[in-house]
Amino acid sequence: MFHDLDPILHQQLRLAIMSLLISVREAEFTFLKEKTNATAGNLSVQIQKLKDAGYIEVIKRFKDNYPQTLCRITPKGITAFETYVENLKSYLNTRPEN
Amino acid sequence: MNPERFSPQESLKVIQEMIEKAKNQVSENGHLYLLWGWTVFFCSVGQFILWHFFNWEKNALIWYLCFITGIYQFFYIRKERRKVVVLTYADRILSFVWISFVIVLLLIILLFSLHGETSAWKLITPVLVALYGVPTFVSGIVLQFRPLIFGAITCWALSVGAAITKVPYQLLFPAAAMLVAWIIPGTILRKKYLKAQKHTADHVS
Repeated sequence: MFHDLDPILHQQLRLAIMSLLISVREAEFTFLKEKTNATAGNLSVQIQKLKDAGYIEVIKRFKDNYPQTLCRITPKGITAFETYVENLKSYLNTRPEN
Repeated sequence: MNPERFSPQESLKVIQEMIEKAKNQVSENGHLYLLWGWTVFFCSVGQFILWHFFNWEKNALIWYLCFITGIYQFFYIRKERRKVVVLTYADRILSFVWISFVIVLLLIILLFSLHGETSAWKLITPVLVALYGVPTFVSGIVLQFRPLIFGAITCWALSVGAAITKVPYQLLFPAAAMLVAWIIPGTILRKKYLKAQKHTADHVS
């Protein structure tokens, strides 16, 4: 049965961020930027949206006098990601590619 | 990036790509394996030489070199932490495995010291060699790196060998264990790491 895909996750950059964070425990903003090839501005906006949804937590701290943004997936985010993948699987199974 | 045109097939591709990119992020450079491998190797062989050839009673003092290595490691880890941009689940598990190893190692030394009997000290080398195998084995499994797994199994075999060997000859067993469990795998890890660094640098430039 097809379920609607979570609109928060069904966006390329947000999904890329979540896929990275589900694979590693925590990652710095610079790591996410490098792996997603996104611009800093766009990445910040999408991180904020994921944070507002409660899918990730954002830790801001100073390392050697430089600000550092650390992102970590939350249990709610893990559940949402798993549900998204399940829905994706059922969608792909029920709707063959045209 | 248009959300409306983002198909489920594309989203599957994004997930696969990102998981692939996040794979193998464990940045083991082999430095600490080499550092501690050579330290323990040097101390074991050194103690054997001082004991066997010079008959020096306080031969165990050579192990105080580990404190110097420990201080260096403290500053090295502090420096390395500043460079870290990603911390994987594997990194976290391994750091706690190694912390547990150090705690148990110190505890064993303390317990043997409290026991006080000279005969008990003959067992410390086999026990410690067996203990070296534990974090080495777990690291080998987590990093999927066979030389460490082989090294760990060798440690356990050598611990039996050390138990049935008389002192001071049993001191050569930790040296052999270090060579197989930490020095050789550490050298391979170091080479791999430097090769990967070079590859990244070439890719960027």
